[in-house]
Amino acid sequence: VSTLALWIPLLPLLSAAAIAVISLTARGGDRTGARRAVPALAVLPIAAAAVLTFVVLFGHGTGAATESQIRYAATGGPEIWLGARVDGLAALIAVLVGVVATAVQLYSVSYMAHEERYTSYAALISLFTAAMLVVVYSTDLLVLLVGWEVMGACSYFLIGHHWERPEARSASIKAFLVTKLGDAPFLLGILFLAHGAGTFRVQPVLQHAIQQGGHGYTAAGAILLIGGVMGKSAQIPLQTWLPDAMAGPTPISALIHAATMVAAGVYLLVRTYALLAVAPQVSLAVAVVGVATALGASVASLFQTNFKKGIAYSTVAQLGYMFAGVGVGAPFAGLFHLFTHASFKALLFLAAGIVIHGAGGRESLAALRGLGRFFPFNSAGFLIGALALIGTPLVTAGSFSKDAIIDAALSRQPIIGYLLLGGVILTGLYIGRLFSIVYVAPPVDEHAVHHDPESERPMNWSLVPLMVGAVAFGYLGTWLQARLAAPSDELDLLPGPITPIGLIAFALGAIGFGIAWWYATRRAEAVAPAPSEPSYAAAGWVHAIAEVGYAVSDGLRRVQSGALATYAFGSFLALAIIMLAREVTR
Amino acid sequence: MHAIYPLTLAALLFAVGVYGVLARRNAVAVLMAIELLLNAVNLNLVTFSSLLRDQYGMGQVFTIFLITVAAAETGLGLAIVLLLYRNRGTAAIDDARELGEDGAFGLKRVPQQAGGGAGGATGPNTPAAPKAVTK
Repeated sequence: VSTLALWIPLLPLLSAAAIAVISLTARGGDRTGARRAVPALAVLPIAAAAVLTFVVLFGHGTGAATESQIRYAATGGPEIWLGARVDGLAALIAVLVGVVATAVQLYSVSYMAHEERYTSYAALISLFTAAMLVVVYSTDLLVLLVGWEVMGACSYFLIGHHWERPEARSASIKAFLVTKLGDAPFLLGILFLAHGAGTFRVQPVLQHAIQQGGHGYTAAGAILLIGGVMGKSAQIPLQTWLPDAMAGPTPISALIHAATMVAAGVYLLVRTYALLAVAPQVSLAVAVVGVATALGASVASLFQTNFKKGIAYSTVAQLGYMFAGVGVGAPFAGLFHLFTHASFKALLFLAAGIVIHGAGGRESLAALRGLGRFFPFNSAGFLIGALALIGTPLVTAGSFSKDAIIDAALSRQPIIGYLLLGGVILTGLYIGRLFSIVYVAPPVDEHAVHHDPESERPMNWSLVPLMVGAVAFGYLGTWLQARLAAPSDELDLLPGPITPIGLIAFALGAIGFGIAWWYATRRAEAVAPAPSEPSYAAAGWVHAIAEVGYAVSDGLRRVQSGALATYAFGSFLALAIIMLAREVTR
Repeated sequence: MHAIYPLTLAALLFAVGVYGVLARRNAVAVLMAIELLLNAVNLNLVTFSSLLRDQYGMGQVFTIFLITVAAAETGLGLAIVLLLYRNRGTAAIDDARELGEDGAFGLKRVPQQAGGGAGGATGPNTPAAPKAVTK
């Protein structure tokens, strides 16, 4: 099956190329006819690729990993291999990518039907899918890096799809720069690891790390690699691009940036878990970053005045939980949370999208206050998503995965465990606030809604599978675990559906939810907390990080003299320093 | 022939090229200096290719590549210099500093002429007398 997996990314790539050719050649004459072929070209290859990822998943079964590869470039040094490695992890994530990409393309056919730039948009989604599949299946770190960067570029173009809006332009540039800030250490980390192991292939690199016991190049490479992972998965201090990425079209912000691209970071973290396992200080750093992100983003979500950004910060916080899970030594728990989170977060986003659509595209909480009550089915959907987020035992998926993370953290790193447990009350507060303001509070202006039950029906239907997933996904845990081969140690075993920790976590979440409900339905100022409020200072860390960024860039700005000679002098100086360093360290 | 001769020559060529890139003001002279740098590298490649008895001749193959790339680069560079000259009446690289930040380190900012060519449009302020001179 790995030979099949090797060729799967080619399908979306061909789709992207075909759409690009059509949009370039059909300029001028018969444009409408060519444009009519675009939706089919966009959807069918992606759907076929999704089906093939299922074939790979079931063909692989629960057996050992298989690899197939082609030597791509004999460089004289470490060789570069084009290859596919299929194990349970890769097969499952590929299915997630395939299904989400197909859903995005299908949803976009009607959502973007009247857009002038639909062709380039569809081609970019196809290219994104191809790149992500390359990342998932790749056996070679350099090939993985290529896919990783192409994903970043596609994300830049997709966030900036509405480039006539200034906020979309700045958000796309911000996303690109911030993720690149992580990718620079990522590239260095790959080079370190390859230098230590003498090859770019993932498996030998990991084996080398295990044999060496994780010092020297391994620890340095791992910590640099995590820089890139933090950028893609929006961890503190590189979290800032994800909430802004909501400036893109809704299918992009909901599905690409909430379910797929951020998953790439967590996927890579789990894939290279052997590096973390041999370097305890690095995995502790990952756990600390995860906890900081989980708590910080939860607080930040409490002070958002934009509905979608509130949910986006919730995504950042949940990614923090996944990081913490991997960091404390429970990669499966983190990965399981990735899957359950994908289902209920997509539910929250699409439910929010229906209200926003009904309110004529307005996204601010002040404008949406109380409007949710006109969408009863949608309210139920958002409530199920919210309950899954705070981890209601037995009936929602979120409890299974979140409890697994908190359980593992409590037994391995108790301080991190208690922080994560305490973080659940923040989760309850922020999602309770969003739910109460939009769906429970008395409406400000009843006529602000353009209610059209006919046109909402297809969108409501799209919530149904996600509702089922948000409720039932948790029971798939053992099945998933069998696919992912044996867990690394007994800590990673799934706890049962009801655990004391889970009940405590739910109680905390419910308390937070209740407080937020009580507050938000009575106080109108809950929609836009004033900066003068003392509690607002808690969210000040966002500003603090921004201030640091400004200070650094203000210093670096002065290097840009505009004079060619200074730039050339800088390059030659750097060359001289590198050569000198080589001589000294020889 | 001892390898020291071509290697010394290459080092000297490279040094001359570095000086030219850093010190010349005329963009054409800077381009020529870059050519010197590239040719120093070419000389090194060929030298080491024969010195190490490279059976695939990789050093020589890369030299051919480099010559091609250098030709393309010079063509592009000269086109840019030509446009620069047409728009401003000068090919001095010190005067083309619109992308610099205010208060930057390094050279003092050249006082901007009114509408000093932002975007490079042919404005009415194009000086009639080209003063494209080296020092």
